[in-house]
Amino acid sequence: MPRRILVVEDDPETQAYIARGLAQAGYAVEATGSGREGLYLATGGGFDALVLDRMLPDLDGLSLLKSARAAGVTQPAILLTAMGAIDERVKGLRAGADDYLVKPFSFSELEARLEAVLRRPPDPRTEPETVLTCGDLVLDLIARTAERGGRRIELQPREFQMLDYLMRRQGRVVTRTMLLEGIWDYHFDPRTNVIDVHISRLRRKIDAEGERPLIRTLRGSGYMMTAGD
Amino acid sequence: MAHNATTRLVAAHLVLVAVATALVLGFVYWRTGGVIDTEQRAVVEAELRGLADDYRQGGLPALAAAVERRLGRPTGRDAVYLLTDPRGARIAGNLAAWPPGVVPGGGWVTLDLYRLDDADRPTTISAVSVRLGRGERLLVGRDVAARAAFDATLVRALGWGLAAMALMALGTGWLLSRLILRRIDGIAGTAQAIMGGALDRRIALSGSGDEFDRLAATLNAMLERISALVGDLRMVTDSLSHDLRSPLGRLGRHLDAALDAAADAETRRARILSARAEADAVLAMASALLEISRIEAGIAAEQFEAVDLAVLARDVGDLYAAPAEEQGVTLEVSAGDALTVAGHPQLLAQALSNLLDNAIRHAPPGTAVRLGAEIDGGAPVLSVADRGPGIPEDARARVRQRFVRLDPARGGEGAGLGLALVDAVARLHGARLGLDDNAPGLRATIRFPRARPAGIAPAGQLKAGP
Repeated sequence: MPRRILVVEDDPETQAYIARGLAQAGYAVEATGSGREGLYLATGGGFDALVLDRMLPDLDGLSLLKSARAAGVTQPAILLTAMGAIDERVKGLRAGADDYLVKPFSFSELEARLEAVLRRPPDPRTEPETVLTCGDLVLDLIARTAERGGRRIELQPREFQMLDYLMRRQGRVVTRTMLLEGIWDYHFDPRTNVIDVHISRLRRKIDAEGERPLIRTLRGSGYMMTAGD
Repeated sequence: MAHNATTRLVAAHLVLVAVATALVLGFVYWRTGGVIDTEQRAVVEAELRGLADDYRQGGLPALAAAVERRLGRPTGRDAVYLLTDPRGARIAGNLAAWPPGVVPGGGWVTLDLYRLDDADRPTTISAVSVRLGRGERLLVGRDVAARAAFDATLVRALGWGLAAMALMALGTGWLLSRLILRRIDGIAGTAQAIMGGALDRRIALSGSGDEFDRLAATLNAMLERISALVGDLRMVTDSLSHDLRSPLGRLGRHLDAALDAAADAETRRARILSARAEADAVLAMASALLEISRIEAGIAAEQFEAVDLAVLARDVGDLYAAPAEEQGVTLEVSAGDALTVAGHPQLLAQALSNLLDNAIRHAPPGTAVRLGAEIDGGAPVLSVADRGPGIPEDARARVRQRFVRLDPARGGEGAGLGLALVDAVARLHGARLGLDDNAPGLRATIRFPRARPAGIAPAGQLKAGP
């Protein structure tokens, strides 16, 4: 059964763009341009995630989210804003948003982040993972070592973090901004592609001559770690 | 308007001076009159005692003689004497008979009487009387008409004084208000001229350094600031239009090319991706502009927290070490002990990242870029120094502005917003962006306000303990 996403966005073009993209990505989408209707739908339940615009004509996204959270809606929510990241981000996260996207955004960014928030947190009753694997690459989180095919890989602390981050999201798109936020906790767009440089150095370390590359570049969206094809 | 103000100022000045003068003169009048009255009464009472002594020593004849003697004196013209027998019949003196209603020994009385030596007109007399040993009555007084004449003279003099003061007040008030209002008129005239389009007009200073000069200097500084802002805005608008034209033009051409029916699918896709890249560049520029405006509006200041600049420098340095190495540049980070300021961690990181990005881009391979977080002269300072071409001294102010790129040939790289953002972030933190010669190269610094010693209570609180 496809996962259901509620999209509350008053700009018809943006709404159609998001709805169409999500539908193509295999989600079931319900869209509205009204904040009040959005709140009604959100509290009605049945959605797996909410995508809310910050500015709405009747009830703005922040208030909508606060009310929904107060009413017991726990589904992950992503706020969209045209107002710049510096001041709005903190407000959005305080209101209960799980992620935050500044307009204009590329659809792949929204999709990657939606996937990230939709991933259920690990069940606390099970043992936390201590070893991550991707093909023949093994990352030992306790010993803090990395090996590929029995070959020991020396990693700097940040490289270890990046690999950890990518390996936990295997098969899913990880955007540059997600990496910048996840590893360095920076929420701005660096002018040069610093992330690309870090990724290419990481690649040089984990992919030896003749080995299958584990980190793929997805043009226009980001990276994906996968051992398959 | 100016006329009304003049009139009001002069009128207020006049009223104030007139009231003050009237108060002073009134006091003079009251004191003078009072002193004269008191002295005259003392003299009259002394005379009465002296005459009573004469009576006791020489009896009635001696008293009568003394009265006649006193009446003969030239100074005694205002004096009034009357000696009568117990029934009130005159024995000596310059009154015809004992005035009715006056009880001897009854204190001071004021009477309107006809004097024997000046019977044409009634005169006002202030008198005191006594009953003598065998019932005779003695009255001594002074003609107060003279006193009234003195009063009249005094009042006239005071009136003239008041009139003169009022006239002077009118003059000084008019002069003062003209002096003040002429300066205000000057300021208003300049403002009118500026409103009329002469934006470069400034208020003339008198050079005296007085309050008006200070006001004028402040207004001139304000006008400079406004004109700089307007200029900045105009430049931003011009630059924005200019900088938008090229990428949007390219975008259009890419799309036109993508529409070319003869091209194969792969070529079309490449052209659409090129168009996409141009659109992204324009969006990035718009976002950067929006962000700078919001920083300048001070919106982020409410999210300030304690930021350790040493940690910040190490973290951002960590992000840029790899890109620097790719360029053949060594990134040297010198950040020691905790260096805490109140700030916005994201914006500071972004500003530092812009500076590092510039430095690494311009540093020749084989050189080092130094990133520091240190105390300098008591102030926390972030610094990024490179060995690149640097910025010519005359361009250092200019490069802080939006859309200013030093090398137009590098048109593809950045929108010229990097240093503008750093400058805006610095100003948000009350800090100063310094661009100095690193001989060779550029040394960019963000100098924060001098740190207050943290964790030390004010002196007053330290003493307050038991």
